[in-house]
Amino acid sequence: MNNILETKKLYHDFDGLQVLFDVNLQIRKGECHAVIGPNGAGKTTLFNVITGTYKPSKGKVFFKGADVTGKSPCDLCRMGIGRSFQITTTFSRLTTFQNIRLGILSKKGVRFNFFTRVDKMEDITRETDELLRRINLIGERNFPVSALSYGKHRALEISLAMSTDPDLVLLDEFAAGMSRDETHNAVELIKKMTQGKTVVLIEHDMDVVFSLADRITVLHRGQILAVGTPQEIRQNQEVKDAYLGDLEVSAVC
Amino acid sequence: MIDKMKRWLPWAALIIALAFVPKIFGIYYMNFFITFAVFAVFSVSLNLLLGYTGLLSFGHAMYFGAGGYGTALALKYIWNLPLLPALSIGILSAVLLALIVCPLVVRVGGTAFAMMHMAFAQLLYVIALKSRFITGGEDGLANFRIPPFSIPGVVSFPLEGAPANFYYFAIIVLGASLWLMWFFTKTPFGQIQVGIRDNAKRIDYLGFKVTHAKAVVYIVSAAFAGVAGSVYAMFQNVVAPDGYLGLLVSFTPIINTMLGGIASFFGPVWGTAIYALIEEIIFRYTDRVELVIGIIFVLVIMYAPLGFSGLMLKLKFKWMMFKNKRMRQAA
Amino acid sequence: MDVTASMYAAQAIHGIAFGMVLFLIAAGLNVIFGMMGILNLAHGAFFMLAAYFCYSVVAMTGSFWAALLIAPVLTALVGVFVERFFIRKVQIMGAMGELILTLGVAMLILGGVKFFWGTENLPISVPPVLEGMVHIGALDYPIYRIFMIVLALVVLAIMTLLLYKTRLGKIVRAAVSDREMVNALGINVPLVFMFVFGIGVWMAGIGGVVIAPILTVFPGLADQVGMYAFIVVVTGGLGSLKGAFIVSIIFGLLSSFGIQFFSQLAPVLIVGFMAFVLAIKPHGLFGVKE
Repeated sequence: MNNILETKKLYHDFDGLQVLFDVNLQIRKGECHAVIGPNGAGKTTLFNVITGTYKPSKGKVFFKGADVTGKSPCDLCRMGIGRSFQITTTFSRLTTFQNIRLGILSKKGVRFNFFTRVDKMEDITRETDELLRRINLIGERNFPVSALSYGKHRALEISLAMSTDPDLVLLDEFAAGMSRDETHNAVELIKKMTQGKTVVLIEHDMDVVFSLADRITVLHRGQILAVGTPQEIRQNQEVKDAYLGDLEVSAVC
Repeated sequence: MIDKMKRWLPWAALIIALAFVPKIFGIYYMNFFITFAVFAVFSVSLNLLLGYTGLLSFGHAMYFGAGGYGTALALKYIWNLPLLPALSIGILSAVLLALIVCPLVVRVGGTAFAMMHMAFAQLLYVIALKSRFITGGEDGLANFRIPPFSIPGVVSFPLEGAPANFYYFAIIVLGASLWLMWFFTKTPFGQIQVGIRDNAKRIDYLGFKVTHAKAVVYIVSAAFAGVAGSVYAMFQNVVAPDGYLGLLVSFTPIINTMLGGIASFFGPVWGTAIYALIEEIIFRYTDRVELVIGIIFVLVIMYAPLGFSGLMLKLKFKWMMFKNKRMRQAA
Repeated sequence: MDVTASMYAAQAIHGIAFGMVLFLIAAGLNVIFGMMGILNLAHGAFFMLAAYFCYSVVAMTGSFWAALLIAPVLTALVGVFVERFFIRKVQIMGAMGELILTLGVAMLILGGVKFFWGTENLPISVPPVLEGMVHIGALDYPIYRIFMIVLALVVLAIMTLLLYKTRLGKIVRAAVSDREMVNALGINVPLVFMFVFGIGVWMAGIGGVVIAPILTVFPGLADQVGMYAFIVVVTGGLGSLKGAFIVSIIFGLLSSFGIQFFSQLAPVLIVGFMAFVLAIKPHGLFGVKE
């Protein structure tokens, strides 16, 4: 079994509106896999179904060979799935340090501990600082995250997904709204942080996709249109049509 | 070493000051201080939910009342019950009630959470009012025996008819409660709590069970509201629906917390003090309680949503900015 | 027809009439919540304020009909003022800010009413036309109760037409579903919200005027009836008119028959019913998750 994540005949609908349609996604262990597709293709919904935000209406999700369909985000995280969001969802009133520390606490399994002061848990503090140094946020250690710049805030968002040391990381449009430099930094950060991990990312920026992804899945109107290496996808006529077709539609609108 | 002493010095001073209160102020103000301590603990317990977990409850009086009625009933019907078991029974009743209620309320937040509590608290109020044979109905229970504070074979202080003794007992119990709650917010679990307030969804994605965590905070909060209610019952020697379960009893800690500031641990303590002062001063001249409370709510939420501690923080920040500017100008 | 039957019929009419007025108030609350997402805790206070306005207008003009027209509008104006200068300012704080603010406004109104009108019960008499009984079949029905039912139905019909059949209604509903989009289209969303709030309060105002001759006017009105309206909305489901209607009628009947059979337990029953429903469905019978 070299597929770390697999979905089988996955369907999802919102009140009758079909969003996912017979999706059979296969993610190999250790690869970086991009999910691309035009707006409204169902990419984020796919992430939501995989990570437990929604239960699929039909079909199954397998993680490390186990059926995890309908498990809560919390359970999936403990099994080793980390996720970042398209819209930044950090802990806005806590400091950068406190944000990352929450992830470290979870990783160490420190949850219902009422008997120690968290500030005095030196191993936690040390590990948090180590991670902060790796993601270049040590200088902003004690800033409330609302005071961070956009790029740094997004970097924190991504790092939070990886702070629990997951085996599989799902990144939802991590580069959205970033400038060139910020995107470049983020790509470097992801390369550095995800060594030995499996990554699935949703991305619109094709440069980012081609610089990171080993394989690509193209999603179109809730269905998988093509799967392959970046080269194969680049040359795929159907994919071109799907993108072009959508362009025409939006041009008419 | 010196640093450590510097940190402990204010607390030592506070403890000594508290110890001398009965000598300095006399009986009337003793009542004032005890009431203050009771409501400070009650308000901080509410703030564990409101400020630390982001849950607004319009029915926290439930647990204050459970503590009060639990202790009062125990003292009335169990002959010769010692002090600490009486207190424990009060706390246990609150915890028991919270255990029953919490599976129902942890699923929701926001408006639904607030309204459910109003419903449950009203239900409890009406039940206390109507089941006259147990709770004494509108008049409540009164004149139960207050056991002495005693360590068998060592010491025994009477608390009944000895306000100074009761003051020491109350201050110790309530002070300990405050310290325990403060410690609670500093544990790893306390961090998860503030995480839930900021972003419950992300907490879930980080591998913490949000509903379980909410339930724990909820029960802890109820327990300390129970402590406050229990001590208050012994202090007043009477429990009645209006003073322990009424809607205004649920509102009081919200007022205190809003006044003092929901974003800080000691905010509600400041708030309790400010509201107590307002009561002392304004209600000498007017008995229009609703107008005063209404004005406080509206003014605070509109102009100082983080209350007194928020204002202090802002002032401190401005002062630092001012100092920085002066230093830069000098240089 | 025997005496018991006519007694039951009268009781049922009382119950339904009370239920309809409850529904009127609850519908106002629901319109505000459904459209703006604000649970207006001052709603009961507005309802009571309308009853006081009604008393004053009757005292000045001697006409109940004038009061029926003027008092709800005055109340709605107060509501619009509160929305414009208070509620709008705290909306960024979310549910907590709104709940605490409207609670404060409720207290202010209660305090203000006691200040201006005192705490006594102020009687308002039913206009002569509506006094007495009407015979239908073999039974007697009190005219004023029937008037209450009819009036409530008329107001609700107007509301439904206004919100679902006119262009204004379309704007309001569009503003709710996508605030920024409508704003971008050049429609003044804050103004729309102000209007919605006014309408909601106006409905509570009608309820206040209609109920004044039956219960007399006193500061406890907000607690007594206003509380019931809250319970109705919360139990029926925030934002659901259907839920509010069903629960209002149940409560109306429960309070009129309940008082007859077991007067001691009527409040316990009603509050217990609410607690029971919320325990099973935290968002009310027909409510949707926030």
